[in-house]
Amino acid sequence: MKHDSIVLFGCNNLGLDAARRLNSRQHRFILVDNDEARVRSATERGYQAVLADHRNDDALRAIGIGRDVDTIFCFFPEDSENVFLTISARALAPRLTIVSVVDSPESADKLRAAGADKIIDPYEVSGRRIYEIIKRPVIVDILDETVYGRHDLKMAEIEIPKGCCLDQRRLSELHWKERYNLVLLGVVDKALGKELRFVTGEVDYRLDAGDILVVLGPSQEIVAFKREICVN
Amino acid sequence: MIGRFAVFLAYHLEGSAAYKRWKGFFHNLLINPRSRMRPYFDLSMMALVTLSVFLYIYDTKHGGGVAGEYLEYFAVSVFCVEYLLRLWLHDDSHKIVIEHYEKAEFLNLRFRLGPALWHILLRKWQYATTPFAVIDLLAILPVYRPLRILRVFILLRLFKLFRYAQSFNEFVRVLSEKRFELYTLAFFLGFVILASSAAMYVFEGELEGGQIRGFSDALYWSFVTLFTVGYGDITPQTPEGRIITYLLVISGVGLVAFLTSLLIAAFAEKMDELREHRVYVEVEKCEGLIVVCGYGRMGQVVVQKLEEDGARFVIIDRDRDRVDLAKKRGFLAILGDASSNEILVRLGIRDQVGTVLCLTGDDVLNVYITLTARYLNPTLNIISRAAKPESARKLEQAGANYVIQPFEMVGLTVAEYVGQPVAFEAVYGMAGGDKYTRVEAVMAAEGSVLAGAHIGDIRFDDIRLILLGVIGVPHDSRENRPGYSLRSRFFYFNPPADFRLHAGDILVVFGHEYSIAHFKELADKGRLNLLRKRA
Repeated sequence: MKHDSIVLFGCNNLGLDAARRLNSRQHRFILVDNDEARVRSATERGYQAVLADHRNDDALRAIGIGRDVDTIFCFFPEDSENVFLTISARALAPRLTIVSVVDSPESADKLRAAGADKIIDPYEVSGRRIYEIIKRPVIVDILDETVYGRHDLKMAEIEIPKGCCLDQRRLSELHWKERYNLVLLGVVDKALGKELRFVTGEVDYRLDAGDILVVLGPSQEIVAFKREICVN
Repeated sequence: MIGRFAVFLAYHLEGSAAYKRWKGFFHNLLINPRSRMRPYFDLSMMALVTLSVFLYIYDTKHGGGVAGEYLEYFAVSVFCVEYLLRLWLHDDSHKIVIEHYEKAEFLNLRFRLGPALWHILLRKWQYATTPFAVIDLLAILPVYRPLRILRVFILLRLFKLFRYAQSFNEFVRVLSEKRFELYTLAFFLGFVILASSAAMYVFEGELEGGQIRGFSDALYWSFVTLFTVGYGDITPQTPEGRIITYLLVISGVGLVAFLTSLLIAAFAEKMDELREHRVYVEVEKCEGLIVVCGYGRMGQVVVQKLEEDGARFVIIDRDRDRVDLAKKRGFLAILGDASSNEILVRLGIRDQVGTVLCLTGDDVLNVYITLTARYLNPTLNIISRAAKPESARKLEQAGANYVIQPFEMVGLTVAEYVGQPVAFEAVYGMAGGDKYTRVEAVMAAEGSVLAGAHIGDIRFDDIRLILLGVIGVPHDSRENRPGYSLRSRFFYFNPPADFRLHAGDILVVFGHEYSIAHFKELADKGRLNLLRKRA
C-alpha cells in the first residue's frame, strides 16, 4: 500500500472508474457522496465510501481535509458543486492538491480561480485522443500498450535523494545509454523551477538532490535503478 | 468469322493496359469530379461555348469572315469529339461482348454477334437519349448548313453550359419531384388554351374586318391573354369574343398564381437540400475525408483540432442549432441522421471518406452509425465514443476500430496523475498535449538511408531527438531482444547500438517538432550526414 491519502468526491461513473484504476495501482482512497444510494453502490463494489455532505465544512474536516488528506478529486457532474467544493477545501487546507473535472469550458477559469491545481475536461481529453488516433495511430498504440497499460513498460518519476551518487553530476557524465536500459525523457531541475524540461540535448543539466528524473522503461529496470541510486 | 474476331478484339481490349489507361485518362478529364484536370476542361469548354454563341450573334448582322468560319469549325469538331468520347465512356462495350460470349460458352451454344451488338446499341441509345446527350447533339447539328433553321440551335449550345455547372442538376431534380402537379397543370392549361382558341376561331375567324385570320392567330391570342400579358395586337371584336376573354383572364390569373406557388413551394421545401447540395459538391473533391457525426462538446474539440491541422471534414448532426453553429464557424455541415445510408453514400463513404467519427452522446445511435458505415465500406477507419462501459464491446462488434470512453479517459488520467504528477505531464506531452515536444513515428522507407543502418550510427543526439524504440517485425539479428507485441508487430524498446533497421520499420522518436521535421527531411532525402562517419 502506498501511503498517500486521496478522497474522491462523487460516486458516479467518473468517480467509480477512477476508483477502479486507483485500486488496481494499490493507492489508498475513500469515496464521498451525499446520496445514500450512490454510496451504497460504491460500497457494494468493495470500495471504502462515506456518506457526507460536501457543502458542510465540518463534514469536510471530519473526512480529514486540512489534516492528513493530500489530494482530492471533484467528480460532481455540476460545475457549480465542484467550484463550491474547491473553494471550501482550499480554505480549509492551503496545501491540498485539488483536481476537478469540468463540464463546460467556461467553468475551467472559475475552478482555477477557486484554487484547483489541475482541471480535467473529459471532452477535451477524449477529443484530443480521437485526433491523435486519426493523426498518429502508431503513437497511440504504443502509449496504450505500454505506458497506460498492458505491457510492463512504465513511465516513472524518480527523485534524487540526498547523498546519492548522481548528486552534483552532469547528465552527460552518466552514460545513460550504456548503463541503463531506460530512456530518460525529462528532468525537473529544482534550481530552474518546478517545470519539467525534456532532455532533448539543448542543455546539459547538473543534477542535485531533490531533482526529479522522468524515465521510461521496463518496471524491473526502474526498480533496479532506484535501488542503485539509493544504496550508494 | 466476324463474331470470332469481335470476341478476340474484346478480350484483347480487356487485357490491354494502354486501353485502360486511355479510358481512365478521358474519364478523369470529362467525368470524374475529383480529378484535377476536370475543372480546367470545364472552364475551357464554357469559354468555347460562349465564344461560339457570341460569334453567331455577331455573324447575323456583320458576317463572320474567314476567321469566324474556322473558329466555328474548330468549336464543332471539339464538340463532336467530346460527344463521341462521352458515348464511348458511357460503358464498356467489349465487356458486353465478353459477357455474351461467356454465357454462350457456358450454355454450350454458338456465339452470335447480333444480340451482343443489339445490347451495345441499346446501351448507347440509353445514353444518347439522356437530356445532356441530346443537348450535346443539338449543339453540333447547326453545322449542317442546308438546314438554315438549325442555325438557331447554336443558341442551344448555351444549355451546354449547364453540363459544366453542377447545380443545374439539382434544379431539375427539385422540379421533377413536383412532376405530378406540373403534368396536371400542363394538361389543364392545354385544355383551356385549346378550348378558348377554338371558340375564338369559331366566333371571329369568319368575321369581316376581324383580326383573327386563322387558327394560329387564335392560339397566339389565347396564350398572350392566358398568361396575362395581353399585347393588345389582337383584340376580340364580338360580344361572344369578349365573354371568352373574361373567362380566359380569370382562369389565366388563377393558373399563373397556381404555377408560381407550386414552384415556390417546391423550392422552399428543398431549400435545405439545395444548400446541402453545395456541401456534397464541395465534399466530392476531397480524398481521405473525415466524417464527424455529432457536433456536441467532444465533436467541437475534435473539429477544432482538425481545423488547425487543415484536414478536410464534414459534420453531420440531427440538431439544427448545432448544425447552424457549425455553419456559422464556416464548416461544412449537414442536418440529418448520420445512420442513413443515403447521406453516407452521397458523402462518398465508399471511396473518398477515410475516417468516420461517431461522437454523438447516444450510444445506441453511435452503434447504429458504426454498423451502417462498416456495412457500406469494410476498410473504413471508424472511431466511436461510448458513454457506458458495456457499450464499448458492442461498438467493437459493430465494427469500430477504436472506442473512446470519456470516463475511462478521466480514470486513466487520474490514475496517472496520482503519485507521479511530473511523469503525468510527460505522458501528456507525449500524447500531444504539449505544443512543441512530442512523440512521432518515422518510417524507414525502402531506399532511405535509415533502411539497413545501425541504430548506433544515427546521429540522434545532434538532431536533438530521443529514440524510444523501433516498431518492426522480428529478424534473425533481433532474436535476443524481446519486443512488446503491438497488434501485428513488435515494439523494440530502447534498441542497442548494433540493432539493425530494415525497410518498413518505424522509428519512434521523441523531441521538439522542429527536430522531428528535420529528421524526417534528412531521412526522406537520403542525406548521408544523418549517419555518423565510421572510424
